[in-house]
Order: sequence, then C-alpha cells, then structure tokens
Amino acid sequence: MQRLFSQEWSALAAAILVGCVVLALMSPAFLSEFNLYVMLRSFCVVLVVAFAQMLTLAVGQLNLSIGALGGLVAIAVGGMMEKFGFPIALAIAIGLLIGASCGFVNGALTVRTGINGFIITLATASAFAGVNLGITESIPFYNLPAAFVTFGTARFFALPYLLLPPLIVALLLALFLARTVPGRYLLAVGGNPYAAELSGVPRDRIIVLAHTLSGLLAAVGAVLAVAQLGSAQPTIGADWLISSFAAPIIGGAALTGGHISVAATSLAVVLIVLIQNGMVLAQVDPYWVQFLLGALILAAVGLNRLRALGAEGV
Amino acid sequence: MTFFLPSDTRSGFSVRLLAQSSLVGLAAIVGLLWVVFTSLAPGFVSSFNLFAISRSLAIDIVIGFSTMVVLATGGMNLAIGSIGVCSVMLSGYLMQVLGLPTPLALAAGLLLGALLGWTNGFAIVRSGVNSFIITLASASLYVGGMLILTEAVIYNEVPPEIAAFGRMRLGFVSPLLLIALAIAASLVVLFRFTALGREILAAGANARAAELSGVPVGRVIVIAHTLSGLLAASAGLMLMTRLGAAMPSVGQDWLLPSFLAPVLGGTLLAGGGVSVIGAVLGALLVATIRSGLLILQVGNFWLQLFLGLILLLAVMLDRYRSVYAELRSQGRGS
Repeated sequence: MQRLFSQEWSALAAAILVGCVVLALMSPAFLSEFNLYVMLRSFCVVLVVAFAQMLTLAVGQLNLSIGALGGLVAIAVGGMMEKFGFPIALAIAIGLLIGASCGFVNGALTVRTGINGFIITLATASAFAGVNLGITESIPFYNLPAAFVTFGTARFFALPYLLLPPLIVALLLALFLARTVPGRYLLAVGGNPYAAELSGVPRDRIIVLAHTLSGLLAAVGAVLAVAQLGSAQPTIGADWLISSFAAPIIGGAALTGGHISVAATSLAVVLIVLIQNGMVLAQVDPYWVQFLLGALILAAVGLNRLRALGAEGV
Repeated sequence: MTFFLPSDTRSGFSVRLLAQSSLVGLAAIVGLLWVVFTSLAPGFVSSFNLFAISRSLAIDIVIGFSTMVVLATGGMNLAIGSIGVCSVMLSGYLMQVLGLPTPLALAAGLLLGALLGWTNGFAIVRSGVNSFIITLASASLYVGGMLILTEAVIYNEVPPEIAAFGRMRLGFVSPLLLIALAIAASLVVLFRFTALGREILAAGANARAAELSGVPVGRVIVIAHTLSGLLAASAGLMLMTRLGAAMPSVGQDWLLPSFLAPVLGGTLLAGGGVSVIGAVLGALLVATIRSGLLILQVGNFWLQLFLGLILLLAVMLDRYRSVYAELRSQGRGS
C-alpha cells in the first residue's frame, strides 16, 4: 500500500477519480455512451502527441516543431490520397516516413551543430509550417477515401476504433523503454549525458534516435487527427505545443531528462481530456481550458519540486 | 539543465571581436538584400514601402529586445506575446469602456506588462524551475485569463489619436521607429554603462561565479524578466497604434521574430552576451526579407519557410565562425 502511494502517478489517479465523480454528479450526460466515446476520441491525438514530446524530454531535449511537423504530415497524407489517389496504407506509410525524416533532420542538426535544440526546432517548425502553407495555401483536403473517414468515426459501443493505434503505440513505447537496449540508452543519456558517454552509450546517435521517434509519433498523431476530423486541415497541430508539454510534465517527466513514464503521461492526458470535457459539460468558456492547462503545469512543477525537496530532507 | 549547457567558454575579448565581425557581416547581408530587392522591384524603395517597413521594423525591434534582455541572463521568455496582448487589451478596455485618458491607459498597459514579467521572474527564481516551463505555462495562463475576462472582443473604438499616431509620418519613417531606437539607446546605456546591466550579463555568463562575487543573481533575473515584460507591453502598444484597435489576436505570432532578431544579431543563447545593435540589424534583416518577398509576390505563405531557413543558416554560420575563431586563437596561443 505504501508503495502504491509513493508512486508518482498516484496523485494523478486520485485527481482523475475525483474529477470523474464530480463530473458524474454534476452532469448526468457525463457517463452517457456518446460522451464517453467523444472523450476517448479526443484522447487519441493528445496522447500520441504527448508521447512525441516525452521522447525528446527523455534525452533532455525538446521539440517545438511537433505541431508544424504534424500539420505537414497531415496535409501530405491528405494530398496523396485526394490529389494522387494513393492507396490509404501507402499514403499513411509515406506520411510516417516524412515525419520520421523531419525528426531525423531535427536530431541531426542539433547534434551536428551543437546548437541548442530549442533554436533548431523553432527554426524547423517555421520551415515545416512554411512548406505546409506554401503547398496548401491554407486550403484543406476534403475528399478523403470513405474507408479512412469511416475508421475515424466507427465505434464499438463507447470505444472508438481510433483508440486502437494509440494503445498499440503506448504498449510498444513502454516495451521499448523498459526492455530494449536503445530504450535504456535513451533514459541513460537523459539522466546523465557524461556518465552515459563514459560508459559507452553512443550519445549523439541516441539523441538523433529520440528526435526521429518524436517525429514519427507526431506523424502518427497527424494521421489520427486527419481521421478524426475527416479532412486534412492545414491547421492540424497548431495547438499541440502546450498540451504536448503539459502531459509529460504533469506526468512527472523531469525536464532535465532521464525520467519519463508512459503510464503517468497517459494518466496526465486522461486528466487533460477530462478537464476539456468538464468545461464543455459545464458550458463554461472554452478559454478556461487554456487557463487551467497553464495552472496545471505550474501546479505540477511545484508539486514535483516539493517532492524533490521532501526526498532530500528525508 | 541539459538543454542549456554553457558551451561558450570564449573570453570576453574574443566575444566582442566576434560580435563586431558578425555585425559587419549582418549589415553587409542587409545592404546586399536592399540592392537585390530594389533592382528586382523598384517599388521596394518607394516612400510608401519604406514607411511600411519602418513601422513593422519598429515593432520587430522591440519584440526582439524583450527576448534579448532575458537571454542575457541565460533564460528565455515564451510569454512575450501573451504579455503583449494582455497590455493591449487592458489599455483598450480602459480607453473604450472606462473612457480613461489615453496616456493613463497606455501607462496602465505598460505597468501590467512589467507586473506580468515580474511574476514570471519571481516564479522562476522562487521555484528554481527552468524559465522555459514557467513561461510556457504563464503564457497559457495570461492569454487564457485575458480571453476569459474580455471574451475576445475587439476594442475598435479607442480614441482616434491612437490610429492617427500609427499613420503619422516623419519623412519616410514612422515615429514608431524613433521610439524603438530610443529604447535601443537606453538598452545600450543599460548594458554598457550601468552596474545593473553588467550584473545581468554576469548572472547569465556564470550564475555561480556571479553569486560568489556578490551579484544578487535572483534579484537580477527578476529585474530582467520585469524589463522583458515592459518591453513586450511596449511592442504590443506600438502594434495597437498600427492596428488602430485593441485586438485579442495580437502577439500570437511573436515567438519566432522575438528570437530571430537577437539570435541573428549575435546574442548568446547561453547568456552573458548581448548585442543591442545586432538585434536592431537582425530585425532589419527580417523586415527586409518580409517586405521584399511581399513585393516580389512570393506571397505570405512561403515567408515562414524562408524565415525558418534563415534562422537555421544564421545560427549554423555563427557556430562555425566561433569554432573557427577558437581554433585560430588556440593555434596562436601555443
């Protein structure tokens, strides 16, 4: 029992539980099948995007280009399906490849030039967004294959089919970080780059790997977003930045790297989605979501800080 | 903090030399672009276009300064756009709804900016958390709070002298540019001639060493953030005179330009080195490219790609130049 409470996600789980009870008491619509379906659907994209940021945070880097990269992949996938008539699977595969390549570019530039990843990804974000706007001139692709669009709305009772890919991603990611050599290396580099380097971890290559995977996951998020919306909007990804940082940080990822948790990040995303849904049910201004997200990040870093001080004191 | 490894171990002297050579290079690039754009499109140097450039340049310069003063301490401020829009909306509200006199409303806007910046600095120093995270969160808080309070209305019935000032011309240039240059002059004085300016740079160069030599690092960081907020508010209010209204969309696209100007101008990301004139030239480069591409009808859509590539190119060039300079100075030393 003691161990259960010392887990860092116990506070999160408790917050989620309380939130659910409050929302259920407040509004009977909360537990309706349709509302659960809506919540689970909005959970998908946020989760994968949070993972994308989590991986760069794991190695002590960050990726400001996640949203721009997602937007680029979204319109590329949409364009390939609508304009060129590519089969769905091929379009998605190329889209994921674009995402991974863009991530690779981020990583390679960061490692090769030794310039702060913040500036590199700020610049590439602008470049990706520029290509996106230059190609589409802000006009979305609406005519996507029916099978693809149906996948985005199909459901089994409250469970959207759209939830399947993120769950697989979460599982694979947890396995990757816990059980594979590159996964362990990733955490080692984030924990202490010099120690990792001295013990023979190829630090630069691992940083590039983290950025590449981050790009790949952003691309997965983009494809999911296109399926969810039923159209490839050039604005996909424009609002990913804050929640991509919020979830891993609320989930306890240390910004210094080396400390991330797939489970805690997932719970943080549940909490974020719960807040968004609660705002809708309570018919409050949607602006409150932005406000609360900022407050939640501050609360989370404050809490982590206190915990760290407490651990030192003991 | 792994993402702010202090990689710059150059001496102050060589930093200054490097900075000066990079300023000359930057000025040369700007000059070259003016020649190119003018020969491709003579309309580039029309008095109308010069006026337009001077107006956007003025705002870009002040946005850049707002980031620069925080970069000097080795931190960053992602909340600049949010602070700017909060100040604009407060001023707009005071003028339109409460009917306060214009100078009072503008002063209140500036004060709010300084206050929000102070809050950032205070939270960073007190919590010991990275400035990136604190200002990311506060950016969201500030904009969210502003939208909740104003419900995203546009205050477009502000006194006419606001818009009149934005349209005013002094020869080819807008008076806004003079304001920006006056701010630049005071920043030069601050960083070059005052103890506070040197303390800010010392805190950025090596916080521990600065602390040991008696610099109140925490207080200096709070002051830098307060100044950053004040500058962000100034930029917002300048933009308000250009728009002739207080709009809740102000500041949303400030992040990239706020870093472009100081970084192009040679301000060190790791802290401890700023170049005010460099930031002015950096902003001039951005304003030149933006206006040139518009005149050549490349269109707004590709502009962002160019700005991103230019930032990449500039930081890479700077990196290679500093590596080269280091190698050369080592060769001479041994």
